[in-house]
Amino acid sequence: MKSTSETAERETATEAVPAATARVLPPWARWVLLALAAAAVLYAPFYFAPFRVFQLTLVLVYAVVLLGLNLLVGYSGQISLGHGAFFAVGAYGTAILMRDGDIPYLLTLPIAAAVTFVLGLAFGVPALRLRGLYLALVTLSMAIFLPPLLKRFPELTGGSQGLSVEQPASPAWTGLAEDQWLYYVSLAVAVVAFVLVRNLLRSRAGRALLAVRENEAAAEVMGVRPSFYKTLAFAWSAMLAGVGGAVSTWVIGYVAPDSFTVVLSINLLAGLVIGGLASLSGAVYGAFFVMFVSSVAQDISGAAPGIASGLLIIAVMLIAPTGVAGLVRRLTAAARRRLAKE
Amino acid sequence: MSAEKATGAALKVEGLTAGYGAGSQVLHGLDLTVASGEICAVLGPNGAGKTTLLRALSGVVRGRGTAELDGTSLLGRAPEEVARRGVAHVPEGRGTFTALSVEDNLRVGAYIRRDTAGVTAALDRVYGYFPVLAERRRQTAGSLSGGEQQMLAIGRALMLAPRLLLLDEPSLGLSPIITRELFRIVKAINKEERTTVVVVEQNAHLALETASRAHVLEAGRFVLSGGSAQIRADGQVAQAYLGYGI
Repeated sequence: MKSTSETAERETATEAVPAATARVLPPWARWVLLALAAAAVLYAPFYFAPFRVFQLTLVLVYAVVLLGLNLLVGYSGQISLGHGAFFAVGAYGTAILMRDGDIPYLLTLPIAAAVTFVLGLAFGVPALRLRGLYLALVTLSMAIFLPPLLKRFPELTGGSQGLSVEQPASPAWTGLAEDQWLYYVSLAVAVVAFVLVRNLLRSRAGRALLAVRENEAAAEVMGVRPSFYKTLAFAWSAMLAGVGGAVSTWVIGYVAPDSFTVVLSINLLAGLVIGGLASLSGAVYGAFFVMFVSSVAQDISGAAPGIASGLLIIAVMLIAPTGVAGLVRRLTAAARRRLAKE
Repeated sequence: MSAEKATGAALKVEGLTAGYGAGSQVLHGLDLTVASGEICAVLGPNGAGKTTLLRALSGVVRGRGTAELDGTSLLGRAPEEVARRGVAHVPEGRGTFTALSVEDNLRVGAYIRRDTAGVTAALDRVYGYFPVLAERRRQTAGSLSGGEQQMLAIGRALMLAPRLLLLDEPSLGLSPIITRELFRIVKAINKEERTTVVVVEQNAHLALETASRAHVLEAGRFVLSGGSAQIRADGQVAQAYLGYGI
């Protein structure tokens, strides 16, 4: 058991720091592959039916949330069973701003980001005193306590009925349908978020964050303040969840307390572990899980979707203990070795 | 810190006490003077307080009394403030950031430095002392052998351009050949960079060969101090305290 967890740790970490791997493919081939992937992502909203486009848009939203959760769980070694709450604050905040405020919808995103960043800081400070299961419990309570709280103030939140907002229309010059436009907006947000996080992880701050996760005492004598980075990781993480929440309100056009139950928070964490901890691509794989697990589970067993999704999680963890991202890495490494041999 | 090469500083410790909360005091009033550019060895059996001494000097454990580096007090400061004053601590068990690459480990060592050119120069110097680290700069540090990880830990401390280098049992878990090589490099660093070194060791033989002065610590008190040659000559006394001959 111990040895698997150790290898898991090593494997998950490799993506944070590009290791010296023999590149079998020439650089131009890599660019061609990348361009093909980009073309597929850009063409998707014209290929799929509107409902599928809507689902893929939500995958992008969840990818941003999981990217944030990954900063906290994967890269800083803390845990949150309540990230759905930050997601909900971003979603509700945006809905309230769009209902009451006379501001362009795009402006709700930086506001939601700022609010959840501050909220994350506020949670990050007490979290410094808690570790592992204790932190899990406190964050879990946050997820449990939010939906009743939302119902408690109906004049602001619409109570159990929730809030409907007018969805952003696609600008006329684009000639796009609404779902296609929202897909591209979400894609832009996700791309910016991924680039920012990737650069962050390669910066001085990113190295310090990883050093604290790896060995707090050693990082401390080098002048890195563990408390500073752990709190900051909480704030960044909450902020990305809030950004995801804001975009989800644009995409869905509706918020209700029952969309943000504790099950969402648990699905987010499960999605992250299945996608791959401490891996940027893991957030994308995990987003597909969060989006589709309930419907897949429903298909497997209409009577007990919970059991089906639980078994699904167990199955994935048995086959790919380092998540889908780890599995993909292993498979590409094997393919590389084979190519190199020929 | 702006200087290309930092020079060593003199350490003066008086009446240092430290421990881990009420009722578990470990150090009972230590006096220690290390001249600038000197290597000083602290020997002693398990549990004598060797690690606690280093932790108190680097601010990880709260120490009382006085400890001054070239006249600047080290006690009562957070570890990062002590690091800023030129103290680099290589912790017990190396403290490798296993998931980070070798080079990123070294860069974390230079965390408090903002001079990019200085950091690049420091990297080159570390690779000069430890060529094996240069070969493995892109590998994850967890893939290094124990000896290489100890080299990485020392190299990482050098990234600070420290005036005082604290080494906690560098020989732990390493073969005699690797240990000898490590001590040779520590001596070279001390000579080249003029860094003052305090090394805590159970391997008294090698430590005495490298250091010019040595102190034997037992149950939180120095029971024997003097020049290395003198302590080695006084093998009987040392044996009584260390439990083995030198």
